[in-house]
Amino acid sequence: MSQDLRYSALKKTPFHSRTSLASRTNKYYNWNGYTVPTEYSTTELEYTAARNGTSVMDLTPMGKYEITGVHAHQFVDYLVTRDLSEMKDNTVAYIIWCNEDGKVIDDGTIFKFSSTKFMLCCAVKIYNWLNDSAFGFDVTITDVTDTIAALAIQGPTSCSTLKKFGAIDLETLKPFEMREYKIDGLDILISRTGFTGDLGYELWTDPKNAETTWDNIEIAGKELKLRPFGMHALEMTRIEAGFIQTNTDFMAAEDSLRPTRMRSPYEIGMGWLVHLNKNSYFVGKKALKKEKEENTTERCLVGLDIDGDKPAHGSVIYNSKKEDIGIVTAALWSPIMKKNIALASLKRPYGIKIKENIFAEIYHPEELEYRKIWARCKVVKRQFFNPERRNKVPADLYE
Amino acid sequence: MSGNSSFDAIIIGGGHNGLVCANVLARKNKRVLICEARKECGGLVNNDITNYVPPVTSAVSSSIGGMQINYIPKTTIALSETGQHIRLVGNQHIDHKSISTFSSHDADRFNDFHEKMSKFSKTLGSFMMASPPRIMNNSFSDYFKLFKLGLNVRLLGKKNFNEFARMIGLNIADELEDNFENTLLQGLIAHDSVIGSNLGPRSPGSLINLLYRMAIHNNSLFGGIFQIEGGNDQFTKHLIEKCKSNNVKIKTSASVKNCIIENDCAVGVELNNGEKMYAKKIISNADPRSTYFSLLGSQNLDTDVKRKIKHHRSKGRVAKLILELDKLPSFNNCDDIDLDSRMVIAPSIDYIEETFNPSKFDKLSPEPTLEICVKKASNQNPKLDIQVQYAPYKTHQGWENIKESYVESIIRIISKYAPNINECIERKKLLTPDDIEAEYNVSGGHWHHGEIQIDQLFMMRPIPGASQYKTHLDGLFMCGAGTHPGGGLTGISGKNAAKAVLDDF
Repeated sequence: MSQDLRYSALKKTPFHSRTSLASRTNKYYNWNGYTVPTEYSTTELEYTAARNGTSVMDLTPMGKYEITGVHAHQFVDYLVTRDLSEMKDNTVAYIIWCNEDGKVIDDGTIFKFSSTKFMLCCAVKIYNWLNDSAFGFDVTITDVTDTIAALAIQGPTSCSTLKKFGAIDLETLKPFEMREYKIDGLDILISRTGFTGDLGYELWTDPKNAETTWDNIEIAGKELKLRPFGMHALEMTRIEAGFIQTNTDFMAAEDSLRPTRMRSPYEIGMGWLVHLNKNSYFVGKKALKKEKEENTTERCLVGLDIDGDKPAHGSVIYNSKKEDIGIVTAALWSPIMKKNIALASLKRPYGIKIKENIFAEIYHPEELEYRKIWARCKVVKRQFFNPERRNKVPADLYE
Repeated sequence: MSGNSSFDAIIIGGGHNGLVCANVLARKNKRVLICEARKECGGLVNNDITNYVPPVTSAVSSSIGGMQINYIPKTTIALSETGQHIRLVGNQHIDHKSISTFSSHDADRFNDFHEKMSKFSKTLGSFMMASPPRIMNNSFSDYFKLFKLGLNVRLLGKKNFNEFARMIGLNIADELEDNFENTLLQGLIAHDSVIGSNLGPRSPGSLINLLYRMAIHNNSLFGGIFQIEGGNDQFTKHLIEKCKSNNVKIKTSASVKNCIIENDCAVGVELNNGEKMYAKKIISNADPRSTYFSLLGSQNLDTDVKRKIKHHRSKGRVAKLILELDKLPSFNNCDDIDLDSRMVIAPSIDYIEETFNPSKFDKLSPEPTLEICVKKASNQNPKLDIQVQYAPYKTHQGWENIKESYVESIIRIISKYAPNINECIERKKLLTPDDIEAEYNVSGGHWHHGEIQIDQLFMMRPIPGASQYKTHLDGLFMCGAGTHPGGGLTGISGKNAAKAVLDDF
């Protein structure tokens, strides 16, 4: 989409004409150089749509990189900690990648089209990292952030909405699978992926199809409680799902100035994505192996179920002796769980071996005064919300 | 670990460091195999490449059970077009006298300058002989080593300490112009500061190059330059004999394709002919770039390591011209004994800098800086072995198209000093840096396997994280000139690497 940069330092996504029309609040923020809504009407309403109907979010600013070439599969397997050697065509995998010290740079999803073509999606820009890592592999890295328009369609009625939109047999698509569709003459890739922890899909298409796609989905979802949703509502749903956010729950290794702030996968609950027995080398393997062997992991990222109903934003976590043992990285009062939940980075053994007598010091703002609350916390699984419908095949359909 | 390791260590490359390393290991009862890609061992210590050598230190010599080779000290002559050459032997009184015929001011200054530089090179040298500390290690002995260097520098006294700090990043031209008025003397010392490097006399950091050179040449400007009786490859021959008596197995024409890696550990080597050999430790005498990108393979490296190796500067800028003669040319105002000396054509700092300038843009200078060595052997035609600085690694027109005219321009320069040179030449052979790369398997054709500059020295040599002879792959070590303390044909890298390997057994 061409635009006159003299009037806008931030780029507009191909959906901008539609998202701006839907915005009642004029609240935007800068995501990777694009302007996108934080909130369309009220965050609560948008959240409710995501949990009870269909929510639509403009994902275009997400970093998207195409990896092509004869070594593409080998390279992707080298880049990430997870063993992807057996990855099948037309599937998607959740991944993290580390630097040489075994500290996490970012998380994201990798889409496999064939052994010579992949697409990597992540929150931040990583072109230089990919390019430098690719030295010695016969691959080409192309930044396709601007050339692929993306939408997240999430929520219990999302499958029905997309079926009405024209995605035939979509209910048979399994989680982490993708399928190419031709809908009203437009090429659209649909993957069963998302960041809300619910049934949901992501759509990928050429920017020139963007406006038509948005309009048709809006029509399709009219009776299915469809609503566009912004970043704030997404933040609520992702905390409930226990998903981590780079530079919120941990500092990206390439961004943090202080070496002690970098986190290994084991420190942010991503140990399950590290396959040290992978046959080939991957970036950070040596350091991660050492960390595992010498058991030098210092922190952990856990879910907290906190007493009371005041969200523990940024709270310091203490043990019973009032010693500082960690910090809350994300918190909210979960409307669907009716619980006060949080993600917290704790110093081990707290959170792993010691799960009792942990307290959060909450400063609750009340009209220019703070109420200090000393709340007892319970260490729980980070995945607070995990409905059965999320992974159900065939997916639930509604009229 | 697969198979039976029939060797304790396999050394890839039979250069002098590889040979020293092999001997040290073998003397500790390790079974060692050397795989040399070329038909013969020796690497760059070769009559074609090397003109002069520093003396082997007693530490290296004793680590391999003594060296019985005879060193012949060499006089240095800075040639002047007018015939007013400066001859320096490295002896304070003789040199003082020699310089004072040109300038009594410079002669007095020379003594002070030499004393100061010598003091600093000793300080630097004390740090060069042992393995460098690794600061990321958090180990006491590493911090102690660093502390010792700091202490050594501090113990020079406040005045000298400040002077040392001033000099570390300084260019040699400023220092020489501050001290001397004779441009020929300035040119000569500047030449020795920048030879083998990618720096001009006015490039920041060119002074530390000179200190480095002095540290391996008896802490002297002109007193530690030698040739070996019977030719420089006697050094190699001697080391090979030592290998034989120590039961080191040497396999020549055995070009290693890559390391065999099992469980993220180097366990052997695979030759280009498919043959596989296994050992407990693999030691690479190859340059860092080849070691990492070819032997180890970029698919086995962390991104950051790749970045560091890619940034590692190792493009050579010295070409070698060998002129085979049917008779010796007569150099203006030189007698027969002078022909036995190291002759340098670098008449002034500006001359060298002008030679350097085009090389920055991958172009050739019409007036290169030369170090000439006359080689006479009985029942052989005499030869002129000439180090030609600065010959870029790659040129815009392509070396093959301009080699001939380049050789002509070199001979034209020599003819200014030896007018009958053209009548004497029988054959000419020019080895450009990329020829040296191809023939001797040295990336960039760099003498020292990497620039000798402050960011690539000590614990940063070759790259941070690999400075203690260990590579990033367990079981794979490095012993070449790319490691601390670096090139210069000292064998110290080989000796230190052997120690690191032994500590790892």
